[in-house]
Amino acid sequence: MFKLVGKKSFWAVLGLLVIFLILMKYSSGTRAEITVVERVLRDSFTPLQNGLSGLKRGLTGVSTGLESKQELARQIEQLKRKNNDLSLENQQLREYKAEAKRMRLLLNYQQDNKEQYDLTVAQVIARQPNNWFNLITIDKGSADGILQGMPVINADGLVGRISNTSYHTAQVTLITDREMAVGAIIQNSRETQGIIEGMGETNSLRMINIPYYSKVGKYERVVCSGLSKFYPKGIQIGYVQAVKKESNGLLLSATISPAVAFDKLEEVMVITQFRSPVVTSANKKE
Amino acid sequence: MRFILLALLPLLAIFLQSTLFASYSIKGVVPDMVLVFVIFYALLNGAEKGARYGLICGLLEDLYTGRFIGMNALSKAATAYIIGKLQGRVFEENVAVGIIGVILGSLLNACLLFILAFAYFAVFNIDRSLFINIIYQSFYNIVITTPIYLWYYQSSKRGLLKETGER
Repeated sequence: MFKLVGKKSFWAVLGLLVIFLILMKYSSGTRAEITVVERVLRDSFTPLQNGLSGLKRGLTGVSTGLESKQELARQIEQLKRKNNDLSLENQQLREYKAEAKRMRLLLNYQQDNKEQYDLTVAQVIARQPNNWFNLITIDKGSADGILQGMPVINADGLVGRISNTSYHTAQVTLITDREMAVGAIIQNSRETQGIIEGMGETNSLRMINIPYYSKVGKYERVVCSGLSKFYPKGIQIGYVQAVKKESNGLLLSATISPAVAFDKLEEVMVITQFRSPVVTSANKKE
Repeated sequence: MRFILLALLPLLAIFLQSTLFASYSIKGVVPDMVLVFVIFYALLNGAEKGARYGLICGLLEDLYTGRFIGMNALSKAATAYIIGKLQGRVFEENVAVGIIGVILGSLLNACLLFILAFAYFAVFNIDRSLFINIIYQSFYNIVITTPIYLWYYQSSKRGLLKETGER
């Protein structure tokens, strides 16, 4: 032991260990600013990642072009039918929207819809290089007005949150990451609140802290509760897959199947601003 | 030239892990190509050099990820040190040595990462899926090992990675 203490290498290793443990502690949470070294390293990868991402999209386009004519005709027919169905559904939804607006006015509720978001569309250019974190890199950074903490969505629902930015890229921590927690609510019942946390897997989330008396059914839709300042209310998170009682008997937890296909993310939208909605006189006229 | 190539390999690995391999992940798990290069280097150059290389490669990966900086640097340095102790005691020209080295190294590295993550348990949610990921990753690492090891060994003995005294 004393022999070891006398060695220079022992002190060098001990010094490095202490330095890295401090660094780990410093970088364990989300940081508003990343260091110059990190920024340079990340930005130097961007052109290559952009190139490969573009090439992949190009190849997908070519393979689609090579599909047989009949296959395409069949797909067009299918899409036409789907389009008709959706148009019909859209008409009904517009009706519901108008009705909801009137109800909100009556109840003097705040409205929460997409009109209140400022969105920036971004391409996914890279994913996490290891399995400990669930991250993606997008091609918009601080130069495009992206800031740490901004929520990220796509057409299907909540994707994650900006954890840090470089000039031309931003890193998004997905909601499937082990460190993420989002306040959530069951959309239909509106009474069951809980916290969605990531399990490190791409196709599964967990909703915890659900009171034992809550009626939570399979396939019920889970949305953001809006109780956290980071995520706007009402953004879809996923569907309930299974519910089980926690060992303490006081709480329930549910396995949630995410609405977003995290394995296939190609484009996302960053909510650069979401305003606290107010019922204005203009709204009242509608 | 050797020095440039040794520096480029982990950067190439990070690039491929974050793009190409991420698109072909097994249940969301990507291989740790940086670790594979570190293990090869340690097997062929010994414990101390291996540990230094592991530290630098791990640090590069940590700086790219930007979270828990030092976690990969420490785990890869320690893994390389232990695997590097095998140098001279095994037939390095045999590709099976590379594969066994990668299996042992992957498990060892995962254990070390697990210990470090456990130290920060308050912000790190650990459960069974982590262990499943480790098994998938070890398997994925083995798949990519064979062709790379054949090239790496040849290059270290007769090619660009051969030690010439140049730094």
